[in-house]
Formats: sequence, C-alpha cells, structure tokens
Amino acid sequence: MTLQRRSFLQASLASGALLGSGPMIRAASKAKKYRTVLIGSGWWGMNILREAMASENCQVVALVDADQDVLELAAEKVKSLSGDQPKTYQDVREMLDKESFEIAIVATPDHWHALNAIDAIGKGAHVFVEKPTGHTILESRAMLNAARAANRTVQVGLHRRIGPHYVSGMKFLRDGNAGDIGMVRMFAHSSGGKEKPTPNSPPPENLNWDLYCGPAPMRPYCRKIHPGGFRNFLDFANGTLGDWGVHWLDQVLWWSDEKFPKKIFSSGGRPISGKAVLNDKEQTTDAPDAQIAVYEFESFTATWEHRKFAGNGAEKHSVGCYFYGTKGTFHMGWRDGWTFHPSDSKQQVVHQEAEHQEPDGHSIKLLWADFISAIESGKKPTCDIEIGHLATNMSLLGMISHKLGRSIEWDGAKERIIGDEEANRLLRREYRGPWKYPTA
Amino acid sequence: MNRIVTGILCLAINFFHHTLFNPFASAEDWPVYRGPDRNGISKEKDWSDQWPASGPTIAWRSKVGIGFSSVTIANGKLYTLGYTDDHESVLCLDAKTGQAIWKHDYEAPLEDRFFEGGPTSTPTIDGERLYSLSRQGELFCFEASSGKIIWAKNIQQEVGSRIPGWGFAASPVVHQEKLILGVGESGLAVDKMTGALLWKSGDGEAGYMTPLPFEINHQWHAMIASGKFYHCVDLSTGKVAWKHRWLTTYGCNAAAPIVSNNRVFLSSGYGRGSTLLEFNQESYKVLWSNKEMQNQFNSSLLIDGHLYGFDGDEKGGEEGEAGTGESSEERLNEADRVQLKCIDFETGKPRWSISGLGSGSLMAANDRLIVLSQSGELCIAPVSTMGFRPTARAKVLDGKCWTVPVLCNSLIYCRNASGDLVCIDVHSPTEK
Repeated sequence: MTLQRRSFLQASLASGALLGSGPMIRAASKAKKYRTVLIGSGWWGMNILREAMASENCQVVALVDADQDVLELAAEKVKSLSGDQPKTYQDVREMLDKESFEIAIVATPDHWHALNAIDAIGKGAHVFVEKPTGHTILESRAMLNAARAANRTVQVGLHRRIGPHYVSGMKFLRDGNAGDIGMVRMFAHSSGGKEKPTPNSPPPENLNWDLYCGPAPMRPYCRKIHPGGFRNFLDFANGTLGDWGVHWLDQVLWWSDEKFPKKIFSSGGRPISGKAVLNDKEQTTDAPDAQIAVYEFESFTATWEHRKFAGNGAEKHSVGCYFYGTKGTFHMGWRDGWTFHPSDSKQQVVHQEAEHQEPDGHSIKLLWADFISAIESGKKPTCDIEIGHLATNMSLLGMISHKLGRSIEWDGAKERIIGDEEANRLLRREYRGPWKYPTA
Repeated sequence: MNRIVTGILCLAINFFHHTLFNPFASAEDWPVYRGPDRNGISKEKDWSDQWPASGPTIAWRSKVGIGFSSVTIANGKLYTLGYTDDHESVLCLDAKTGQAIWKHDYEAPLEDRFFEGGPTSTPTIDGERLYSLSRQGELFCFEASSGKIIWAKNIQQEVGSRIPGWGFAASPVVHQEKLILGVGESGLAVDKMTGALLWKSGDGEAGYMTPLPFEINHQWHAMIASGKFYHCVDLSTGKVAWKHRWLTTYGCNAAAPIVSNNRVFLSSGYGRGSTLLEFNQESYKVLWSNKEMQNQFNSSLLIDGHLYGFDGDEKGGEEGEAGTGESSEERLNEADRVQLKCIDFETGKPRWSISGLGSGSLMAANDRLIVLSQSGELCIAPVSTMGFRPTARAKVLDGKCWTVPVLCNSLIYCRNASGDLVCIDVHSPTEK
C-alpha cells in the first residue's frame, strides 16, 4: 500500500471527544490532591506516576519497591518533577502499616498485583492497577470482589481502551464499516533465538529477593529476571499472552460486548529458545516462545498467536488484531494506528494514525484523568476492574489450556472450568511463606 | 615529511597530556577504544571532509557478526568482535582491503535482551599482542599478527565477580605491565604477559564503561565505574582513592569519563545527567551537575573547552510490550528523543543541540566531527560551538548503528548491530 492510496480520516474526528473531556476533568479536580502511593517503582510504575504528577491531582506520599536502588532513583525523580518527598519502603507491609493514602498505583510484576491491590482497597484507597489483574484467575476475582465490597474505584492499565486511534477504530468497526466480522486474529511477534542458560548469582545487595518473590516460589536469582525480565518467568507472570495478550484480548471483548469465551484451546512451547532450564547453577526463562490460542465465542472465533523469532519485519504488522469482515479487513495496531482494507478494490484504504505519549507509546494521561473523574463522579472508570478481570481471564485460560495440553470449557458465569478438576486447580496457586492466597 | 613532524608532535603531546603512550603504535594507528589518547580524537589531518553528491567511495564491505564492538587498528590490521550462530569471533581483517587474516571463535550466547545482543567491548592492541574480553568474561591474549592464543581464561569464573545485567562491556586497558579490566565493582588488574591476577575489587556489579587511566601527582589512577559509583582507583594497588555516588537505572554507567587536568566529566543516561568533579589524590568536589548531557552509552568528546555528545536515551524499556513491534515509523519518532549536543565544559551550559540523528556516536579529527547516526548516516561537520553544519553526509549503512565510527589512515570504519562493517575512503585528492 502506498501513501498516496491511503485516505486519512479527519484527525479531529478521532481526537475531538477526548479533548472535550480533558480540561473539564482538570478544572474539577484542581482543588483536590490525592495522597498517592506507588507500589512497584520501576519503568512502568514511573510512567504512570509521571502522568499522575503531571495531572496535578496527586501528592506522592510513598514509594515501594523490593529494589533499594530503584526506590532511590524513583524518589529522586518524584522530587525533581513534583517537589514531593515520598517515603520509601522495600516492604509493602511496612508501608501499609505506616502510611495513610487515598490512591495506590500497583505496577509490580504480576504475581504481586492482587495482594497489593486488595490490601490497598482494604486501607480504603482507590487503585490504579496494571494489567493483568492477577497471576491466577481466582486472585483476580478476589480483587474484583474486594473493590465492589468496599465500593472503591479500580482502574486497570488497559490504556488501549482510551487511546484515540483505538477509540476511533472501534467506532469504525462497531458502526459496521467492515461489515459482519466472522473471524478475529490477534498477534504479537518479536525477534529472538535460542536461549542459553544464565548463571544464577547472589541477588544484588540492593534487592530484597525474598520480597521480590513474595507469594511466588523462591527460585534462584539470575540477572535475567531483574530488572525488567520477569515476564518470561512463569513464577512471576504469564509470558507474552499474559502481557501483550491482555490488551488485544480486551479489544475483542470491547468490540464484541462478550464477557467470556465458551471454549479455549492453546498450544505452543519453546521450539526455538529451547527447553526451560532451572537448577542450582543456572536457568533460562520458561514462557513459550511460540503460542497459539483459540477462543470460541457464541457467534465467532478469535485466535491469538505470538512468536519470538523471525522478527525480521516480513509481515506488515508485528502486533495488533485483524478483524475479518464482509466488507474488508481491519487491522487495529499500535504505533501503526489502524487500517481498513476494503474488499471492494475500487474503494480506498482507510487509515488512522496512532496518537500516543512517547517514548513508550501509551495513553496513560487519558486513563489517569478518567480514573480521577470516576473517583469523583462515582461512576465506573473506562477500564474498570471487571473489564480488566475479564481480559485477564482470557489470557490465563489460554495459559491453563497450554499447560494442560487440552481444550477447556469455561463456565464464565460461575468462573469454573466444566468437568475438569485438574484444570480448576490451576485457577489458583499455593502461596509461599507468610502470604495468604486472597479469597473471593 | 608531514607525517614525521606530526608523529613527533604527537609524542610531545602524549607526554604532556595525562594519557597512555603506546611505543608500538604509529601515529596513524587506532590501537585502543577511543584511540591512542583515549579521548575519541584522532590527530589525522590529511583526509577529506567532503565527497561528491553521489556519495563517498566505499573501499570495502564485510560481515563481522552481530554486536557493538568498535574497531581497533595497528600495522595495517583491523580487529573487532562479532557473534554468529552460537559463537563469538575475534576477527582480524586487512584494514585496507577488508580481507580476513585470522579469526578465533568461542562459544557464547547472543544475550539479546532489549537489544540485538552480541559482543559490546572492543579488542585492545598492545604491540605484538591483542587482548579481548567477552560479555561472559572470556579473556584472551593473542599474538596480534597470527591469532595464536598466548594465554586465555575466563576471568569472571576465576575471581567470582558478578556479571552485570548486560555482561562485561569494558574494553581491556593496557597500562604499563598491567591489563586493567572493568570486572568487579571497581575493576581488576592482571599481568598482561601472563594473565596472573594482580588485584581485584568487590563483588558489586561492574558498570559498562572502559577504565580510563590518568595521573594524579605522577601516580597512575583510573576511573572505573560500577552501576552505582565512579571510583578513582590507584592502579598500583587497586585501592579506591575516592568514589562518587552515581546511581543510574539498570546500573548503566557506560559512557567514558573525560579527564582534563584535575577534573573529570561523568555522564549517564536514563535521567542521570552529567557532572564535573575536581579532584586530588584523596578527594573531590562537585563543580557542576545537571541533566544537559546524558550519554546513554556512547561517549562525548572534549574539544577546546566544549563537550560534544549524544544526549538522551534510545528506547530501552522492559521485556514485553516495549520490546515488540518496531517499525520504521517508530524509529523516526525515536530519532527525535536523542540529540547531538554541545555544552560548555566549565559550566555545563548548553550551546546547541540538534535532533534527527537518533542515538548516534561520534569521534573527531582535524577539527571535524565524524558522526554516525543511529540509522547509518555518516556526517562530517566542522567542530563549532555555534552549531552542526555537515560538509558531507551519506547513508552508509542500514539497520541500527550504535557503534562509534573510527577514522584511521584516511579510511572511516562504520558498523551496524547486525554486523555489516563498511570502510569509506576519505583520502584527500592530493593523497590519492
């Protein structure tokens, strides 16, 4: 497709609605400064906090991270950006004991999300929690129940529900411009190769490894896990499906107004990176480097695929989802915006550019404003905990099927896997040490 | 004739500056990372800073494997490191023709977390010997001409130092009879002839910068970084004379410090910024500190009281979302986040900055900046505190270029992450 052939939608069409709501939110909340804590103060947590500070409706009172160096850097940044001098804590329990706060941002590795969010809700706080909402389905459910019981606002970091091109693309789809959609294909591809084990080593002196592992099993430390590598260690996260997957699975739920699939099958493994290794001396990641998941809904089927090799850009898009309709093919992308390729060759390709906050290509500014607005109006936020929970469930059900090597049938109303007790046991997991699995 | 005079001048300058003098290297050689004076500045003058609109003459192209190792050159031979199919190679090429002379392979992982992976340090030539250090601590001493191994060991396993997150990136540094390595929290030294350990430092994670030797009151020291401190290390004992807290995200203290008289300039990316310290043998004080120049991994140049360097971060991010979905459109956006900048050494105040070159790198020669942009554009521009006005520019490579270009004997060597090495002929017309 050449640039000349593209016809661009009026930019104002996509951004108008959002611009309309922005200043109003700011004006309404100017008087109020929410006492805010950040739990998980690394790269992404600071992305959120930066927007929270820029909105001028928060006062940062505390930062939590198992890594003392991360805390020091984050505190320095907070001071330079807002003038606030937050207290810093390696142990979240100590922070919960000592601080009073109205908002908690939770941006730890996945295995800590539910405990932190539920504890913060228990302290009366509203919560902005990163996706996925849980490492297992029942802890995500417990978070949802806790939020409802305490009547607290919980916004999930699904910024792809609020970013301008996603909003305009979804409107385009839902207005029927792609016709009847018969199939959806979601994907996230990247490059990589064979993985050699990384030697285990004592954790850096600045890292409290016991607290990092928290409720997850205590595995030997290696430099590949921290900083920033937890996603491909299944003790702490759920690989690419539990990361990218949640965003694109959520797009499918958003488009379809469905709450859950009926049947799920996933297959995959580590054909290129190789068998996972974990012993006294060394370890590799253990998340799949290639995975396919099939989600059967009442009226359509959606597929997920990811691979972490052959990332040489041979395909036009490396992330996103294709909606295949009677009037053409619609691609919802990330930095590549959205594009509609009509079946009728006489019609022009329709394209909408992405509009993001850089460098990381997100829309947290909008999501934060929406969060504050929800707290103040008492209405549900755009990425309410239930929305996050349902999208997270999709990814976790895919992982359960992948682990079991068989398809599962999901009773979404009861949140049970039908006729498969072994599978139902994977809806939760054992917690380590003093940490207790949250009950729904 | 001209060259002999230049050579003698070089000798004189070398002795007056606080730099290492290498008796084996000729004036035209570039035997160590950042050059004979370890400052990224070459003394070559007889080269052309212009080329026709059709572009410069490409002398040769070669494939050296994935990685970010720069080149070193002596006696007509060029050395670099690269990764191919489960192993790394130390390569020796003919500097004029690009023809392979020798190669040594050893097993090594790609380790491509957040980047393309492959070796990140540059081999060091010391007379008849060549030293190289891998990200995993494989240390080699070769006969430079033949590639015969004189001695080899895994220094990380020998001393038990932690491997930092992205492996060891420091180039080996020859200082008198010692080989100084950026392994351990404030480096270590081995006997350069035998490899025998002379001293080592604590178990904290090493930084990624190459140790920089300099003299304080006729006693040799070196700046050596961990992820949290810059240490001033007494090279005779390995003892830390003083250290400056310099905590950087990911422990990424990677750019070379710059020492001028009794002052040292330090810079890191990820929001850390830069500082100028004034020091003596026992202590130091901070002269200034700001965020104007954040060298993420490539280093600045100090020329006539001004620093020239790349300020800002290439997208790092974590494994996961940010690591996926690169497109060319995205790279254009990225290019605007990093700027080529000039700041005043004395005050830290900015003079000029330009964007559009991405996370590039630069060296200088004959009052010209030789800049390689992230996307492979080579630019030659006069050194000026007034702005950046290239007299020549040409796209010489595709893909990501984070490795600093090297001018040596009127040839400029540029390399990209996937291992294309291109040699550009910049002989001046009279020389040809």
